[in-house]
Amino acid sequence: MKKVLALLVIFLVVLSFGEVTIQFWHAMGGWRIDLIQGMINDFMKANPDIKVEVQYVGSYEEILAKTVAALQSGTPPHVVQLNEISTKKMIDSGVIVPVEDMIRKDPSFDKKKLLPQVLNYYSIGGKLYSMPWNSSTPLLFYNKTLFKQAGLDPDKPPKTFSEVISYSKKLVKKDEKGNIVRTGITWPLYAWFFEQWMAEQNKLLVDNNNGRTGNPTKVLFNNDAGLKIFEFWNTLTKEGLMINTKKGDWTAARQLFISQTVGMIITSTSDVALLLSESKKQGFEIGAAYIPIPDGVQRAGVIIGGGSLWIIKQKNQAEVEAAWKLVKYLADVDPQIAWHKGTGYFPIRLDAKEKLEKQGYYQENPLHYVAIKQLLDTIPSYATMGAVVGVFPEIRSAIENAVEKMLNGQLTPKQALEEAEREANKAIKQYF
Amino acid sequence: MRKWIPYIFILPTFVIISIFIYYPALNSFYLSFFKVSPFGNRKKFVWLDNYLELFSDDRFIRAFSFTIIFTIVTVVVSIFIAFFVALLLNQKVPGVRVFRTLIFAPYAVSTAVAGALWGFMLNPVVGHVNYMMKMLFGIQVNWITTIPYAAYAVIIAAIWKTLPFNIIFYIAGLQSIPDELVEAAKLDGANIWTRTWKLIFPLLSPITYYLVIMSIISAMFQSFAIIDVMTRGGPGDYTTNMIYRVYLDGFRFSNTGRASAESIILFLIMIVVTFVYFKFGRKNVHYQ
Repeated sequence: MKKVLALLVIFLVVLSFGEVTIQFWHAMGGWRIDLIQGMINDFMKANPDIKVEVQYVGSYEEILAKTVAALQSGTPPHVVQLNEISTKKMIDSGVIVPVEDMIRKDPSFDKKKLLPQVLNYYSIGGKLYSMPWNSSTPLLFYNKTLFKQAGLDPDKPPKTFSEVISYSKKLVKKDEKGNIVRTGITWPLYAWFFEQWMAEQNKLLVDNNNGRTGNPTKVLFNNDAGLKIFEFWNTLTKEGLMINTKKGDWTAARQLFISQTVGMIITSTSDVALLLSESKKQGFEIGAAYIPIPDGVQRAGVIIGGGSLWIIKQKNQAEVEAAWKLVKYLADVDPQIAWHKGTGYFPIRLDAKEKLEKQGYYQENPLHYVAIKQLLDTIPSYATMGAVVGVFPEIRSAIENAVEKMLNGQLTPKQALEEAEREANKAIKQYF
Repeated sequence: MRKWIPYIFILPTFVIISIFIYYPALNSFYLSFFKVSPFGNRKKFVWLDNYLELFSDDRFIRAFSFTIIFTIVTVVVSIFIAFFVALLLNQKVPGVRVFRTLIFAPYAVSTAVAGALWGFMLNPVVGHVNYMMKMLFGIQVNWITTIPYAAYAVIIAAIWKTLPFNIIFYIAGLQSIPDELVEAAKLDGANIWTRTWKLIFPLLSPITYYLVIMSIISAMFQSFAIIDVMTRGGPGDYTTNMIYRVYLDGFRFSNTGRASAESIILFLIMIVVTFVYFKFGRKNVHYQ
């Protein structure tokens, strides 16, 4: 018996020598934890010499904070998922291995297979720094059943700001005391939507071509384009046509739409699956459309949001190689299709999209198709590629604070825009 | 050897406190003089720049004043309500134990959950509070997203959360007041008002003293979860208090130097408050 045990121990020791253990930290809660674990299990089956420890760490901010702490204590994770606004911070950090470096050494990965819009967002100066993974854009969802009740054409969603206002006026319903029981539209109070509308007008958010040809020195949104957005937001709120949430409260916005308190919602494409199933439960029909844009503007397109995978530098090069294998796998065709179907984030690869088309997936899921079509219709430019700036969280916070002050009547749209600009520029100057 | 034994006994505690409290505190004092890169791998000594920036930043001034208002209102209201509820719960009526248990319950709920609960109750669309208000008065209030209701919302939640702790202490205090004292006051013709304010409240002053300090600490430092869950410091930065500012600068914006300076200021405020209170308190607290 003892001999067997001893042999077993030796066997295990020998085995573990060839094995590399890597950590993968992600921010996808709920049902997605199991989905990711399943994908990782498949990966480990295909690569028995790599052991992946997956951890759901919490929000993107928590991942960033914990990665910093882990780096300082000398035990960094290998692959971390971070949101799009951390991009510049990570590039400047000096603690990452750019994905481009790994691609150059690995002919089995062709980055031209990635959707050009996705590739553009995460490339700076033609170099891809992180692997896009969960990408989304904003989309307008509307309640077809309510549209019919209000005498609106359920096949003609609003295309412009003024149409949103006139549609919303028709959707408003008040009780005998004058309280609003149903109204037009909502979207989470999040600066991401402001950025989208700047891009739709083909306008930059920060200078130096959105920070893509040099470090940004100031923001560029205090102009007519920015004012149109603030005034639209302000008018909708003041006239009771829109309900606002607290900062970044996606759940509250979804609740308003699902409970049929509002007829329309602008939210992330990653909500497609959830909104579809909830609308069925509530017994209403749901439609999707491109986000409405300011009147008289040529539609330029939307910017990618969501997250990407970063490889962190390690002492042991074998671990970096293993991390690259994992990242490559997660961006591969089949995992991307599984991911897309399970979450609503769209496939980041052209070949994955083509495969889905061949399977007839988009005929059965027309809303998913609208989401990806809006992205493919986007005209590539620095404006629609999105900004790359180190103090992105501060800029978003400056815009959101100004919007909230405007909605509370403390500032006019013009003053709000000025204050957002001032706070954002101050943050840019302090970036270190 | 005998001389050293007590030190050996406190050594384990001291080591743990050093690692988790003294070292981080000293480190944040040190970092408050630096600009630190988001990953902490680049540092630049900037003298007092972080502090000077803060005092010229109206966001920080607003956070400072909201902290003061928030702290004073929650502490005063929570202590007074606690005192009266404790008086009621100290009556010898049937079922008082059940009431006590029910009223203590919020203390067992974590702060984040408390924030979430109040967030649901004050939800403008599906919340109970608005439903009742609509039924009774026909009005709707957007508690979380409008000024000044957002401040009321976080203050109500914070009071609700700290109340049970204060009640427990007051009940314990009330039970330790000898019946003879109250009887004697009664015989001397003191009415209930006089008995409460001239006898019971002064007798409980050591407890009030302790509770004020504890409530100030909890309002200044532990209100983070309620604010984060309920309002995220909004609308604008209307309900952003100093501890939430520290979180924003330290974790959301990865600006360690600035966040360190803020926490040092918070620390200094607390020292001043405690010092003043000790000076003032010693004169007015009656120990039996």
